[in-house]
Amino acid sequence: MWRVALALLTLGWSVTGVAQTQTVEQKAAACAACHGEKGVPVDKAFPVIWGQHQGYLFLQLRDFKAGARKNDFMQAVVAELSRDDMMALAEYFSKKPWPDLRQKSATDAEAAVANRVNVSIGCTGCHLGQYQGDATVPRLAGQQHDYLLKSMRDFRSRARANNPGMTDLMKATAEADFEPEANFLAGH
Amino acid sequence: MRMLGRVAVSMTAATIGFSIISAAVAADETKPATLYGDMSSVTQDMLNRAGHDGNDFLLTNGNYWQQRFYPNRQINRDNVAGLRPAWIFQTDVTESMETSPLVVNGVMYVTTSFDHVYALNARTGEELWHYQQKLGPITTYCCGPNNRGVALYGDNVYLATLDAKLVALDAKTGKVKWETQIANPEEGYSETMAPTAVDGKILIGTNGGEYGIRGFVKAYDAKDGHLIWTFYTIPEKNEGVWAAQDATGRDMHRDIAAEKANLAKAGDLYKRLGGGVWQNPSVDLATRRIYFVVGNPSPDLDGAARPGDNLYTDSLVSVDLDTGKYVCHYQYIAHDVWDLDAVSPTVLAEAKDADGKIVPVVMEAGKTGHVYVNNRKDCSLIRFSEAMVPQEDMWSLPSAKGTRMLPGANGGVEWSPMATNPFLGLAYAINLHQPMTYTVTSAPYPNGKLWLGGAFAVIPTEAQWGNITAVDYNTGKIRWQVKTPQPMIGGVLATAGGLVFTGEGNGRFAAYDSATGSRLWQFMAGAGVNAPPSSYTVDGKQYIVVAAGGNVQLNYRRGNAIIAFSLAE
Ligand code: HEC
Ligand code: HEC
Repeated sequence: MWRVALALLTLGWSVTGVAQTQTVEQKAAACAACHGEKGVPVDKAFPVIWGQHQGYLFLQLRDFKAGARKNDFMQAVVAELSRDDMMALAEYFSKKPWPDLRQKSATDAEAAVANRVNVSIGCTGCHLGQYQGDATVPRLAGQQHDYLLKSMRDFRSRARANNPGMTDLMKATAEADFEPEANFLAGH
Repeated sequence: MRMLGRVAVSMTAATIGFSIISAAVAADETKPATLYGDMSSVTQDMLNRAGHDGNDFLLTNGNYWQQRFYPNRQINRDNVAGLRPAWIFQTDVTESMETSPLVVNGVMYVTTSFDHVYALNARTGEELWHYQQKLGPITTYCCGPNNRGVALYGDNVYLATLDAKLVALDAKTGKVKWETQIANPEEGYSETMAPTAVDGKILIGTNGGEYGIRGFVKAYDAKDGHLIWTFYTIPEKNEGVWAAQDATGRDMHRDIAAEKANLAKAGDLYKRLGGGVWQNPSVDLATRRIYFVVGNPSPDLDGAARPGDNLYTDSLVSVDLDTGKYVCHYQYIAHDVWDLDAVSPTVLAEAKDADGKIVPVVMEAGKTGHVYVNNRKDCSLIRFSEAMVPQEDMWSLPSAKGTRMLPGANGGVEWSPMATNPFLGLAYAINLHQPMTYTVTSAPYPNGKLWLGGAFAVIPTEAQWGNITAVDYNTGKIRWQVKTPQPMIGGVLATAGGLVFTGEGNGRFAAYDSATGSRLWQFMAGAGVNAPPSSYTVDGKQYIVVAAGGNVQLNYRRGNAIIAFSLAE
């Protein structure tokens, strides 16, 4: 937690200080405190944003700002950002390479669960082949394990309510399948 | 050589009673056919006669009636066993392919996922040009980054894109002439359908019924892309007649009293009630009307938020071609809460009405598994076919725990176009059997995000399969049916050679006897054949062409091939 507190401090300083005149690189520097210098997030529950799709990143920032998606850190981060800032940051991070988190591959049993879930719900119908996503649909392959698990649970409980479609799909998925699914996606 | 092609085909068609000779030959006299360009300009006259053109394939579904009946019979029942790949073209995109190849004067136009367009030499498969749409950052689509093809008009090729733009390309070079924004993708609008070109207009619908859009069909000027008219598929007053039964007379278990009580609270429903138009309209040039079907209401499964019949969702609609003004509609399912809507394109035909009199009709294959035959004059229902797939517990309402009901939410029949054989009076549809549960939940409108109001989940332990079904549209009876190992999605082509062509998710592309359904030929394409086939003739040689790219929605093996077949020498 101390690392995060520190990040917020740094951020609070930079955002309120010179936000208007900062370049996108300067604005993006503040994100590294949590999302990582080289794209590897500093905490297991923080998502990878390097190499994520631009449309998706933008919509998340938009939703944090509107309060449609709730997170104390992120809502503080976006408070001062304009629509153009958010689009520029989204573009900036989408062009970075996706980091290799060296997460372990799923076991056969976990992969079998993920395949069964996919047959039933059709995850790859939206997240596309190899769970690479596109545009406003996020890449899931190689995302942080703990974050994936948290996201699925948050959709299910509506703690994350900015996509009721994903909420419905997570409600239609057995909660016991989330852990093997997260293992499968993290190691994919 | 080239002349030979036209004359040979004209004669073939003449023997089966078509009056195409004058048209085709006249065109040849004024403009000698050359492969690369000079003859490539697509005139309104050519489009009007597309159904009798044994050389080209000019419209997404063959002609304005959308019959998908190709008049050449060089490839026929007797020799189809000798059909072989003539060439294979591999695109740069290995992802779901739904394209309907168009061919004009030896040049073929195909599209791929993510809005690439290729012009190919239809005789050899060589690439003439390749265009890739630079998509904006925000695209929102439910069912894969698909594209179902282009429209041809004049010297232009028209493409509608995932980021909801209409683009005109130069047919000779693939360079952009103009582009226009159809609607805002951040609100859930996207385009996967092929446009329709007619009389200087480019007609286009929209996806987005899963995102709380307000659906429409728009007409743009083919020359410069300015908007001519918009028909909203959701009228401001949309509660309708509070129908308790569907088109087949089955009770839909609506709580109409509760809906009426909710109506006042519902507010401006029309702004987000869905009603996408997924496929090309058919055009009746005699009456200057177009006919199309409108998809599901938003949110798909949660009816509580949208009291009333939700007009014109799940309906056949006709509007005036020149003005976009409403002519008539017929709603198959009022207040749909299963997404068992209407997506397969309409087909015009002449068929018997209830009294046995031959009248102009419009047909549509519903996700319900029925082919509906309606009177073109007033949109009224004449008949519906026997169910092509098992129907069980219709209409059980979606529940919090999940309700099993058949057909599943993909149908029945998905977006896949039917083909017809007007001489046999048969319509050929491909079907899915996918047992699903329907779950309902409630959530407020999420600003252009996915808004299903619940979920459809395939029941993994139950068997799935598909059918190819021939329906006698004069009686509604099933004439023949062939079962396939997987649910079917893609499309059908019928030819004057007594054949029906269609493909499967396992890669099988096959020809069937159009009168009996016996399988006469097959080819394994290595990736799902889930796109509608076309046919064309160059240098007197008939080809069948189809895309093998698999399918996102049903997760069929992906590929990137356009495969053209001709008879072995
Ligand atoms: C103090 C830590 C912190 C900082 C600084 C921070 N983030 Fe985040 N960010 C988070 C956390 C935690 C989440 C996950 C929230 C959740 O669990 O729902 C997140 C989520 C996101 C998401 C959603 C990702 C997804 O996969 O859904 C985006 C986009 C994002 N951040 C962008 C940024 C940008 C751009 C910046 C800099 C302008 C930034 N963040 C700065 C902590 C931070
Ligand atoms: C109908 C399309 C669709 C289907 C099917 C679908 N998703 Fe999603 N999913 C989305 C969209 C869109 C988002 C982005 C949510 C948002 O807008 O905030 C998302 C987000 C997610 C996220 C959060 C990612 C992040 O970075 O925060 C996870 C995890 C996820 N989906 C897992 C799944 C799994 C597992 C399945 C199958 C069981 C599935 N999804 C099926 C469309 C879909």
